[in-house]
Amino acid sequence: MTATPAVASEPAPPAPATPNAPNAPVAAIELEHVSRWYGNVVAINDISFALGPGVTGLLGPNGAGKSTLLHLIAGLLAPSAGQVRLAGRRPFGDPTVYHEVGLVPEREAIHPYLTGHQFALLNAELQGLPDAGAAADRVIATVDLTEAAHRQIRTYSKGMRQRAKLAGALVHDPRILLLDEPFNGMDPRQRLHMMSLLRSMAAAGRVILFSSHILEEVERLAEAVLVVYAGRLAASGDFRSIRRLMTDRPHRFTIRSSDDRRLASALLAQPAVFGAELVDGLLAVRTSDYAAFTRALAGVARGAGIRLFEVAPTDDSLESVFSYLVRR
Amino acid sequence: MRVFGRLVLVTLQGLLGRRRIVLMLLLAALPVLVGLAIRLGGGRADAPAILDTLVIRTVLPLVALVIGSAALGSEIEDGTVVYLLIKPVPRWVVALAKIAVAVGVTLALTLPAMLVTGLLIGTAQGGSLGSSLGFVLAAIAGGAAYASVFTTLGALTTRALVVGLAYTLLWEGALAGLLEGTRFLSIRQATLGLAAALGAGDPDVATLEPIASLVVLALAIAVPLALTALALQRFQVRAGD
Repeated sequence: MTATPAVASEPAPPAPATPNAPNAPVAAIELEHVSRWYGNVVAINDISFALGPGVTGLLGPNGAGKSTLLHLIAGLLAPSAGQVRLAGRRPFGDPTVYHEVGLVPEREAIHPYLTGHQFALLNAELQGLPDAGAAADRVIATVDLTEAAHRQIRTYSKGMRQRAKLAGALVHDPRILLLDEPFNGMDPRQRLHMMSLLRSMAAAGRVILFSSHILEEVERLAEAVLVVYAGRLAASGDFRSIRRLMTDRPHRFTIRSSDDRRLASALLAQPAVFGAELVDGLLAVRTSDYAAFTRALAGVARGAGIRLFEVAPTDDSLESVFSYLVRR
Repeated sequence: MRVFGRLVLVTLQGLLGRRRIVLMLLLAALPVLVGLAIRLGGGRADAPAILDTLVIRTVLPLVALVIGSAALGSEIEDGTVVYLLIKPVPRWVVALAKIAVAVGVTLALTLPAMLVTGLLIGTAQGGSLGSSLGFVLAAIAGGAAYASVFTTLGALTTRALVVGLAYTLLWEGALAGLLEGTRFLSIRQATLGLAAALGAGDPDVATLEPIASLVVLALAIAVPLALTALALQRFQVRAGD
């Protein structure tokens, strides 16, 4: 797969001389052979990539290691091996990186006794902004929380909490924005609003990395994708090439019909079908082309005078898509 | 300075917004009731012993434990501490703000009650006002030490309440009274030592020397601050979060 400028599967070459010089071409986010384990459990396994401006989606099923990876990038976890660089610095134990970074964590909890506005103000003042009050007002309007700004966060819905968290992360207009499952709990309207907000930030040259386990979210927002499965980087690149990989993979169907044996031989004559066998009284078919197969199936059955009782794709879960990408 | 002030304010909001603060107020008022009873009953006026039992042995450590363990521990527990740590603020500033609030709230809750009790008992027949005030001064130092230690405990373990209770009840209550060598690890003994140096001690009860008491109390404030700053500097989110 060809890598886009935004995502390279290998880290960018180190900048010459002083790595933190203002004009040095430092990748905003850079991981070199990063692993993280807890006792015997490997949560992140030898991941390397470098990210620049634009929206990148971190895609993977639940438990794949997306949050662990974001925490490593955000300096809230120390890597067990390898090196993380954020804005040119090692983020773990170095709070100065947060001048340039905003983080929206996945956990819902925000100080419940603060109002949305107080939370934004807290973030503005801890960022050391000269006019914290104005910055808080501005960001509350940006995330569309003005009406509820003076209610305690404990009264907020899930979607409102997400927006309050976003307000806290955006108040200092960071160059790098990390978001962990930011669309969880948002209704469709809020989701659209937030997507257009992130898009406009990306257009202004910001570096945005967000995680999601939902393919459609990544498809609609991200230009580049990192696919994580079982702690490994399964694929990276622009979204279309990943999408093609996903649809081109072999698909399996199980079929029950009035005559499985005859249907099997009829299907094997189809170019898109490369396997058909009878397993436990069911017909299992393997195809390389999902769309062509589903179009042809009914016609083949009708032509042979066979009635279809049940057609079920056996491995259409995102989980199986990811595991295919890893094995590839 | 503005950052420190905001951290103090947020911590205060978190502590005072809880129901337990009312319980703490009631607990702190307990010595006042006892003092009132002594005063009205016109009974014994062995002020140091009563203040020792009620204040230094019970009210001060309990209030400091509940407040201290929550000042930072509750935010670590529910994950909201992350919002303070992903900001360009040196972590020792966060640690200092948390401990300052724990000390301040502990003393604000206990001091008025202690003063009133001291006055009630101290002016009772046979009591001495001076010795009661000496006790209050020592209790301020002791309260600050307790609050610092328990704030740090909240940063280091999720079972700060249990560990803190074990320390006050088992270690200070039982062992430190029996084994002379362990007195150096007892805030209670140091507080009593300081009280004795301020003329409020019970001459029959052996306590730490004044200098040793001051050193123990100073360390009990400074070491926890350093440990808390270090714990926040090395802070990592828990697995599965």
